[in-house]
Amino acid sequence: MSRLAIRCSDARVSYTVRSHRPSIRGVLRGQRPNERVIEAVRGVTFDVAVGESVGVVGPNGSGKTSLLQATTGLLPLAGGQVLVRSTPAFLGVQAVLRPHLTGWRNIHLGLLAQGLTAGEAAERAGEVAEFTGLGDFLELRMETYSSGMRARLHFAVATALAPEILLIDEALAVGDREFRKKSDTRLDEHRQAAGTVLLVSHNLAEIRRSCSRVIWLQEGLVVADGPTKDVLSAYEAS
Amino acid sequence: MGTYRWEKKIVHVSPVGRRQALRSIKSMDQMTSPTPSGVPTDGLVPAGQPLPLRSYLRELWRRRDFLIRVPLEDLRAQNAHTLLGGIWLLLNPVLQVGVYFLVFGVIMPIDRGVDQYLVFLTIGVFVFFYSQRIISEAARSVVVNLGLIRTLRFPRATLPISTTVGQAMAFVPALTVMATVASAYGNWPHYRWLLIPVLLALQTSFSLGAGFVAARYNHTYRDLENLLPFVFRLAFYVSGVLYSVDHYIDSAIGRAAFLANPFYCFVTVWRGVLTGTTAAGEVWAATSAWATITLVVGFALFRSRETTYGGTK
Repeated sequence: MSRLAIRCSDARVSYTVRSHRPSIRGVLRGQRPNERVIEAVRGVTFDVAVGESVGVVGPNGSGKTSLLQATTGLLPLAGGQVLVRSTPAFLGVQAVLRPHLTGWRNIHLGLLAQGLTAGEAAERAGEVAEFTGLGDFLELRMETYSSGMRARLHFAVATALAPEILLIDEALAVGDREFRKKSDTRLDEHRQAAGTVLLVSHNLAEIRRSCSRVIWLQEGLVVADGPTKDVLSAYEAS
Repeated sequence: MGTYRWEKKIVHVSPVGRRQALRSIKSMDQMTSPTPSGVPTDGLVPAGQPLPLRSYLRELWRRRDFLIRVPLEDLRAQNAHTLLGGIWLLLNPVLQVGVYFLVFGVIMPIDRGVDQYLVFLTIGVFVFFYSQRIISEAARSVVVNLGLIRTLRFPRATLPISTTVGQAMAFVPALTVMATVASAYGNWPHYRWLLIPVLLALQTSFSLGAGFVAARYNHTYRDLENLLPFVFRLAFYVSGVLYSVDHYIDSAIGRAAFLANPFYCFVTVWRGVLTGTTAAGEVWAATSAWATITLVVGFALFRSRETTYGGTK
């Protein structure tokens, strides 16, 4: 009796990079501007079960973020297939909800956008605010926040309604110790409620703490996929 | 942990180094990434597959609080740092009419072949700007909310709709001023005025539809945002906002051509409802057609790209 949350079969993602702005003359003549296709993910296959927490490691440019974004459906696939149980929530590094609004209003807005009624959102807002631990800073506009403060707010809003699948792209790395503890606890709760997490991080300690399995990507391919201990020791040795 | 376990076997990458690992990656790939057989994929959908229309509309409806609250708070926040606050929403149209009165009523009283030129102008300008604001705000609604889009799951149509709701709220004071000016020049409230909500709904749905289209293309080509003001400027001059088209154009064909201009249709019908100038049946028909077709087509166009908003192109 097992249920899949994500199935990724031979997924490929490629970016077309233009060396310069396309010229109007070129376009009229039917020329394509100098384009280079970069294959960020070159055929990745894995399954993630419901309730599983999987870390993704690999050097910069190995296709980790592209893989996560393909899982959200934001990046079109160049080949293969990614199946998901439901659209995942994505936590990225530069996460800002609405920079010109205060923390409070961002919380409110985020809850409403996820489909709560105004009454429900008002009820939950306090709890989310407390989780952020931002206190009076919630009265300030989000653009004045430090990256760590943004990450707190962002994490609190995105996990408030326990999305089935949560993709985290380096978003927790900027948090301080206290926040790390909180987010670890929440991720644990999330897993216990059969939530699925895919965590991209360069912080191997973080991955050790929260993931039972690790996928090691390199140059867009899976190098290893297995229990955290084994894969990380191989990764560290490389 | 779920009972399903990924097979424990992992291929150890020997610490000989990355390069070697990569060299043998082809064969390893087959071993490390098998698709476990026997695990059913039912209940899974392709990532980025849009919701079917019915569920999409249901999700939109669930977010009705978002659609109303957010623009309302935005309106409040807009004038939060001014002394007069929310009064500006009313003061703004009043001052605008004041300027027209000063210029066209006192300094150079011209009529351009129109009775009550001030009323004519006020209705024309307010109605035109209403659509212009909805469309330009909707056009930006997706690109200014990329942070929200990338993080949270919600039907993206929520964004253009919510800016439109905001503009509709802000239009109420303008509408009041318009009606007051009309009355002040002897066009007393009339049972015709009962058509105002209908007309407002028609114009809002036309503008939202156009806003959907603008939002979709502005996401792909930001150039559109720079272009739109000029499109509106041109439309402003050819829609009979400042002059009476009937006064300048005699041929039936010429007038029929104006029906192909939705802004002309709306301006004319509004004048008809508020001041009783005759708006021909075909103008009403064209107005309704513009409203319905633009909304349906615009929504379909917007939704067809639903899953790509926020992505890299």
